[in-house]
Parts: sequence; C-alpha cells; structure tokens
Amino acid sequence: MILRLSDLNVISKSVRLKSTLTTFFDEIGKDIIIKSSSTGIYENLALEDWIHDYVDLQNRNILLLCRNSPAVVIGRHQNPWQECNLPLMRRLGIPLARRRSGGGTVFHDTGNINMTFFTSKKKYDRHRNLTVVTNALKELRPNLDVNSTDRFDILLNGHYKISGTAAKLGRTAAYHHCTLLCSVDRSLLSSVLKSNNSQVIKSNATPSVPSPVKNLMDVDPSLDTDTVMEAIASQYKKEFDFATPVITVDPTHESLMPGVHKMTRDLLTWEWVYGKTPKFSVSTSVVVDRVNITLDMDIKNGKVERFDIGFPDGWLPLEIVNEFTSTMNGSRFCPRETAVLLSAFIRTNSLAADIAEKIHRLCEGVISVM
Amino acid sequence: MEIRVRRRMAMCSVVRCSAISLTSSLSRLSHRNLLIPFRLLETSCFNRSLSTSSPFCAALRFTDKHEWVRVESGVATVGISNFAQEALGDVVYCGLPEIGTKLSQSDEFGALESVKAASELYSPLTGEVTEVNDALADKPGLVNKSCYKEGWLMKMSVSVPEELDALLDEAAYERYIKSIED
Repeated sequence: MILRLSDLNVISKSVRLKSTLTTFFDEIGKDIIIKSSSTGIYENLALEDWIHDYVDLQNRNILLLCRNSPAVVIGRHQNPWQECNLPLMRRLGIPLARRRSGGGTVFHDTGNINMTFFTSKKKYDRHRNLTVVTNALKELRPNLDVNSTDRFDILLNGHYKISGTAAKLGRTAAYHHCTLLCSVDRSLLSSVLKSNNSQVIKSNATPSVPSPVKNLMDVDPSLDTDTVMEAIASQYKKEFDFATPVITVDPTHESLMPGVHKMTRDLLTWEWVYGKTPKFSVSTSVVVDRVNITLDMDIKNGKVERFDIGFPDGWLPLEIVNEFTSTMNGSRFCPRETAVLLSAFIRTNSLAADIAEKIHRLCEGVISVM
Repeated sequence: MEIRVRRRMAMCSVVRCSAISLTSSLSRLSHRNLLIPFRLLETSCFNRSLSTSSPFCAALRFTDKHEWVRVESGVATVGISNFAQEALGDVVYCGLPEIGTKLSQSDEFGALESVKAASELYSPLTGEVTEVNDALADKPGLVNKSCYKEGWLMKMSVSVPEELDALLDEAAYERYIKSIED
C-alpha cells in the first residue's frame, strides 16, 4: 500500500485529486472485501461514510468487516438518554456513537462482528446479504438453526437474536450493516443498554425493540470471530462470484482516504451524538427535605429549551428561580455543563447557604436523569 | 368539461379500489417477494394519485430522487412521491430540517426512517426552509397515507425559479419511473 501511495505522488494532479483508495479499488476489481485494521467505533463509522460518499458503487459490491472495542451505537433518530445507561457508560469509559443509518441501539465489543454491505441503491437487498451470513454459518456448522426474520434480525433456534440490522439509502448508493454476536460480554451489554431514566422521558424518537440475545460461542465454542469472519468472506465471494483476497484498510489513513479525518471528527461532536436527538421532554421530581419538587424540561437539539420548577410557595424566592431557569435555558443537557453552570450561578449570585443548598439539590435531580 | 372530469374521477376511484385491495394482499407476502409486486403496483397507484390530484394542482414537479414540489404564491411545498413512499414501507420517523435552514438544490435536508433504514431526503430547489410539517412528529405514517397532501414534509422559499422548470413534470416523472423499473 505504501509503495502504491508513493507511486501515486508522481501521477498528474488531476489523477491525484481522485481518491487513492478508489483508484486502488479500480485496479483490483469490481467486487471487494475489506477489513478494517481499527477497533475504534468512530473510525469505523467514518470509514463507512467515506466509502458511501467517495467510492462509485454503481457497478460494485463491497463488504466491510470490522470489530469494535466496547461501544454503544444508537440509530440515527434515537434518544441516547432513553436507550442506554449514560452514567454507567461514563464511569466505564464506554463511548457512545450515533450512526447515520436507522434502527435501534446496539452494544459492540470485539466479540461482535460488524458487516457493512455496500451496493448501488438499486441493488440494495438486505435479505440477500443476511443469507450470505446464515449460509456462511451453515457452511461452518450444518446443524446450526439460524434464520433471518421479516425485521431483518437473525435468530438462533428461532428465538435468540444473534444479529441486528440497520441501513442507509443515499442518492445513488446504499449500505446495509449488521452485527453478529460471537462472544460479546452479555452482562455488560444488558447493563449498558438499560436506561436509567426511560420512564421520565417523553419522545417521538424511534425506540429500540429489546430482544433476548445469545452468543454463537455459547452454542459452539469453536465459532470465534476469526473463524466466522473468514466464513462470511468466503461465502460473500461465492455469492458475488469473485476471488480477490480480503484487503486490510486503516481508516485513519488520511492520504489514502482524503476527508476521512473530518468524517471521524464530525461523528465525535456533541452536536451529532447528542444534539441530533429528536426533541423530547423530561418530567421528574426530587424530594428535598421532604418537599416534593417537580422538574419539567423540553430538550431540543440536546439543549434545554424550557425548564420549569414546581415547588410550594415560599420554598425558594421566585427571582432566584427565574434567574436559575434562565441560566439553564439554552445549555446542553449534560452533567458537566450543568455542574459548571451551577457553580457559576451560586458564585455570581452570592446566595445564602440554605438557598444555595436547595439549588444544589435541584441540580442533582436534573443531573441524575442525564 | 365537467362531465369529463367526473368520468375521470369515477375511473380513478375504481383504480383506487383495486390498488387498495392489492396493497392489503401485499402484506401477506413475504418481504423477500415484496419488491416484485411493488413494481407491478407502482404504475397503477401512481396513475391514481397523479390523476386525482392533477385537475387541482397542475404544478406538481418531481426530482429523479422522488421528491415532489408544488409552488404556490412563491412558496414551495415539498414531499415524497407515491413511488417513494411505497418503496420505503411504513415511515416511523421523519427527520426534518430547522426552519431557516438554507438549502441549495439537491442538498440533503433530512431523512425518513422506515423498517430500520434511513433514507436521505434531497432538496428539489434552492431556498430557505420556512415551515416543516409538525403533524409528522406524532404521525409519521401520514407520509404513507397521504404523500401528496397531509404527508408533505417542508415548505421553502424559491431562490432560483428557473430550477423549477428543469424538474420533471408529471408525465416525464411517470416515464422516468417506468424506465428505472426496466
């Protein structure tokens, strides 16, 4: 690869403007399987975006295989506060990513295989792709009971979900990606996908459909990720009738994929991951010194648009409450920002100790649902 | 003239009935086979929707990405075609732009989600978003039920009126659909 890149430096400017990975694809053949050398969720999602945006998929099929370090990935129109346990993920350092495709929330770790099937929009066919996966598994273990469903899941023994699907359709190209559970940490999976506050959130965001899951290795310990990935690759070659070997691609290689760094950065921004959440409202309450205080918020683009505090007369001076809610308005619905605003508010308003304490407790209530 | 219109409407309702019965029988077919009957259906449904709407809304224009646009008093209403909504299946979420978003022709302005797939939407014209269909927040299915009326997506100003002339008229869009089916 590196040799090829230095060769390209001498090619005329107009050719160099063409993407180098694209040029490479043109040289090696029509249908291609690539494997990402990264286990970073944002890098791998950016690689998908890059292929979708820059590779001509009109007469080409591409399969991308990758695995990710622990991460939670939500669908394009989902609400992370509703879908996963963000406080736990922050404690464990598990990143949250929003993908550009639809569908529900999934947990990834290196025991999970991710496959992305790129085609032209016209040839987009999720059942055909899932059949590649089920046939690969049956090729490995003929007695394995695996079938795809009308919702494009793959079920093991007719009950346990081992694969989930999502897709994105663009102007002329499309991709379908799916997961395949080989040996994921199931207890971590279920604890991070359990929201701490789904009951206090009202939203039109697309909800996930929780399903009982199983690892392939639970039923056959020899079905590790490498074996299964290899089987999927050879089944894909059989299905699309080609023999080109699997190419390993480093998704952080900017000169190979001009623009991929920016795509990675875009996926990392707060505005994309949290800010793209469909408008929602939060209704919760906190008990402060046996007084019940209600907190009602509207969150738009991830930011507080309306913040109402309900409390008995005289519990807090009205002007302090008004000042506080206007401080919160427009702020990001996130614990760090709320904590910073709180301490600034207490400092600038030089509040009496008991009032500062009450405001503090209110904020704790707000932060507990973030 | 009046008689002709009425006769046309009557014929349309016949087409509509047959289209509905076909659609309901579709749901019993497996997903694997959906694409083929859909394609057979497209022409009949398409004729139905267009011919019922055409006596009232002569200025419906289409993009090759299956968005429609209708310009009335300088404001363009944008939606997706019947062909597109049928291909999508049940829409469960409409990702629409903020009011005030400036769009160039064929810019991405949002996405519709159906059966786990997000389909990008592309602006048919250059202009600024002036309104989005708020009813879709609670009822995204309106895009399926009434793609040319209640299921509209957004309204926008028209900055480059010439762009409208270059879009497909109903007959040309119908021919285009036939061509991509082959």
